[in-house]
Amino acid sequence: MNTRNAAIPRSLSAIRDRLAEGAQMTERGDKIWRVGESRGEGNPDGPWSLSRRQLFMGAGGVVLASTLAGCGGSAPAPSGGTNTTGAAGTPKRGGNFRLGVTGGGSKDMMDGQNIVTKPDQARLLTAFETLLTFDDNYQLQTDGLAESVEADNPKQYTIRIRDGIEFQNGKPFTADDVIYSLQRIGTEKNGLTGFAATATMDIKNLKKVDDRTVRLPLLSPDSTIPQTLASYTFGMVPVGYDKFSGDVSTQIGTGCYKLKSFTPGQESVHERNPNYWRGDGSPWFDTVTITDFNDSTAQLNALKGGQIDAMTDVPAGQVDSTKASGVGVLISQTGGWIPLCMAIDMPPFDDPKVRQAFRLIIDRQACLEQIGNGYGQIANDLYAPFDEGYDKSLPQREQDIEQAKSLLKQAGKEGLSVDLHTTNGAAGMVELASVFASQARQAGVNVTVKNDPNYYGDSYLKLAFSVDFWGTRGYLNQVQQGSLPNSPYNETHWPPKSGPGSNFEDLYHQALAETDTNKRIDIQHQMQKYEYDLGGYIIPYFNALIDGYASNVQGLSPSKGTLNLAGFGHGFRTIWFA
Amino acid sequence: MKWLRGGGIWGFIVRRLLLGILVLFLVSVIVFAGTQALGDPARAILGRDATPDRLAALQAQLHLDQNVVGQYVQWLSGLLHGSFGTSLASQQPVSQLLGPRLVSSIVLVVISAVISIPLSIVIGSYAALHREKKFDTIVSNVMLGLASMPEFVTALLLVILFSTNIFHALPSISPVPPGHRAWEYPDELILPVATLVIAVTPYVSRIMRASMIEVLESDYVEMARLKGLSERTVLYRHALPNAIGPVFQVTAISLAYLAGGIVIIEYVFNYPGIGSALVDAVTNHDIPVVQALAVLIAGLYVVLNLLADVATILVTPRLRTRL
Repeated sequence: MNTRNAAIPRSLSAIRDRLAEGAQMTERGDKIWRVGESRGEGNPDGPWSLSRRQLFMGAGGVVLASTLAGCGGSAPAPSGGTNTTGAAGTPKRGGNFRLGVTGGGSKDMMDGQNIVTKPDQARLLTAFETLLTFDDNYQLQTDGLAESVEADNPKQYTIRIRDGIEFQNGKPFTADDVIYSLQRIGTEKNGLTGFAATATMDIKNLKKVDDRTVRLPLLSPDSTIPQTLASYTFGMVPVGYDKFSGDVSTQIGTGCYKLKSFTPGQESVHERNPNYWRGDGSPWFDTVTITDFNDSTAQLNALKGGQIDAMTDVPAGQVDSTKASGVGVLISQTGGWIPLCMAIDMPPFDDPKVRQAFRLIIDRQACLEQIGNGYGQIANDLYAPFDEGYDKSLPQREQDIEQAKSLLKQAGKEGLSVDLHTTNGAAGMVELASVFASQARQAGVNVTVKNDPNYYGDSYLKLAFSVDFWGTRGYLNQVQQGSLPNSPYNETHWPPKSGPGSNFEDLYHQALAETDTNKRIDIQHQMQKYEYDLGGYIIPYFNALIDGYASNVQGLSPSKGTLNLAGFGHGFRTIWFA
Repeated sequence: MKWLRGGGIWGFIVRRLLLGILVLFLVSVIVFAGTQALGDPARAILGRDATPDRLAALQAQLHLDQNVVGQYVQWLSGLLHGSFGTSLASQQPVSQLLGPRLVSSIVLVVISAVISIPLSIVIGSYAALHREKKFDTIVSNVMLGLASMPEFVTALLLVILFSTNIFHALPSISPVPPGHRAWEYPDELILPVATLVIAVTPYVSRIMRASMIEVLESDYVEMARLKGLSERTVLYRHALPNAIGPVFQVTAISLAYLAGGIVIIEYVFNYPGIGSALVDAVTNHDIPVVQALAVLIAGLYVVLNLLADVATILVTPRLRTRL
């Protein structure tokens, strides 16, 4: 399958929201009461070890300060963390970095807190930065605009921003800008992608303590606030900011590059911000040019022919030939997933035996080989693999046609026929449906694939059996998005209304409020056990992002985050030309 | 049918223009009806965000609250005032969005036409004059081969040959930066133009050859030769003007096809023309843009056919004198 170029859906705001939501990658980790400057030891375990074990229990007392122990090595500047592909040599100034991105179109936009297409993600990152950041190992870091984000008590955070940061036009970055930025996201009518994640914030009562300090009260306890603040759609914008509508001088952030020109559907040009606050010589390029591509063939040709310096989403089937032509390929294992979704309250899936049987029908390895060309990691019907509460002890499900048949027989559903709805949304959605349909035939189940271009507009979330896609997230954050009765995108209609698992939402709230990491992990394991036994997701594998770059591009390294090219070279900051 | 005659060539042009306007009107009705069939655009645009008030607001903005005839009249009157409306996806005026792309597409088509038409006439005539000789046999077979190749195959082969794998001489893509014109980047135009020339030349030259052979065997050419006219005069004064009529027709059809069909070329070369804009607009349910492009492309067909007919009449005394 070689439809990586379809990785970003082209239409429908629903998919757009899903894209950005999924891309928020707010990993839930510990109960973080304090995100401080201190960093712990590096995490030597492989990419699948969940690393925030080394916690410093804080000073104790009422505040329960368990400091976030940053992991995965030092701050990602300038070489971006582990496994740097081209870190040899010191960064050099100069050049025009030309990036080709598929998935754009005339609806492209620029907003420091919103995206509709994949090129918009890259564009946002040129100019806008967040209070906290994730490193390549998907661990929270305090090398963003805030020097600390601390919980004063379970229902109040204090954000302290760095001294001396200026916007690209020389205006100082102050507490007023933080308040404006958060309130802009938290105002529903602005329709920004981060809105759902502000549900627990008491947006109206944000308070400026002094020029560098903001008090953020919460409506209910929420330990995911630091992760939310590190999501890329929580960019900090100046007071009075609004999205691009023709005037480049309105797009002022604190980031590395300043907008010079922008034509939706074609290209945007960004010039170096000479006053960038980090003072380490970055950013390195003179200009960054982001060009829209309709098609990955043209993109690959342009990269091979030297007309662009990097591209998003090399088709998995062309990795070898791309490498052979002297072009670098960056493969990043992410926590993104494409599930088959069975609605647990709709026939035939209202019978747990049928769900169980379907989960035994799928050949996960074959899916990974056929759809992902082997680039990815086998999954076990559970999501959020980078969460330290991800339960690795549950046995790996394997294909078992005989048992599936017998379960279907017990349920009185032999020779079952179902429709499986999918759409040309994210790469692999249509392919997964077809592959599953052919695997189901072995168990005597007749699956009819319905590829519906209006899937996300009309019937989404109302279907018994469908395909969807999600990005990297932490467990509790993912639960909030897709597995609670009031979740915005609950395809499986989880949890059950009665019987085992019906206390799932209570467990979720307990986990959110639990301050002891081990106890919280226990609660998460209970929740995952219910989903593993009774849930509606079939998750074959976690996909990888495959990007291409010219041989003279230095500083790129694989990242677990949702965005391409390791978060577009950390906002085009940690990459340079040799 | 008297009104269909008289007035000489100008009367003919005026009549054809009026007919063309009628065709465009009918096309506009069909396009409008066709885009209605896409379903409720407001719902499609909003998707999951289709809350009742946002739906109502967007429907009012799109005039969807009026009945279908009202909507059509609204749209048509805008069209007659030169306004194609506002793009739903980008919120820009459609004319502003499509203007530069239209220019880029026209540049591509015109350059291809300027190269391929004389080339085809020369190749076709030469092959006809030396019928079943070596040149004719080779060229005929090559042309047949080229004609059977889809444009994107040609395009990719050219890219592999000249820019990515074998020679690294030419740019593999042609993204005209916004605010610039396609002709400012002549090297980027070479491969797309070459692809289009390869796509069009085989058809036109084959028609030219066939037509030329027919003319060369005609009585009046034989008469001219018997009169003792030089072969040159026979060819230029007698044969060519008569042979070229069908070529205009097939050229017009080829060019009109190119105008709507270069979308594949635009994809392969990432060239910002109207073909890719059309695909983008259809996927976005951007109805004003779809309608504008459909009418533009239909208009182009009408104009090109008219030009071809006029040219044919001008070079054909028999037709010219009948007007």
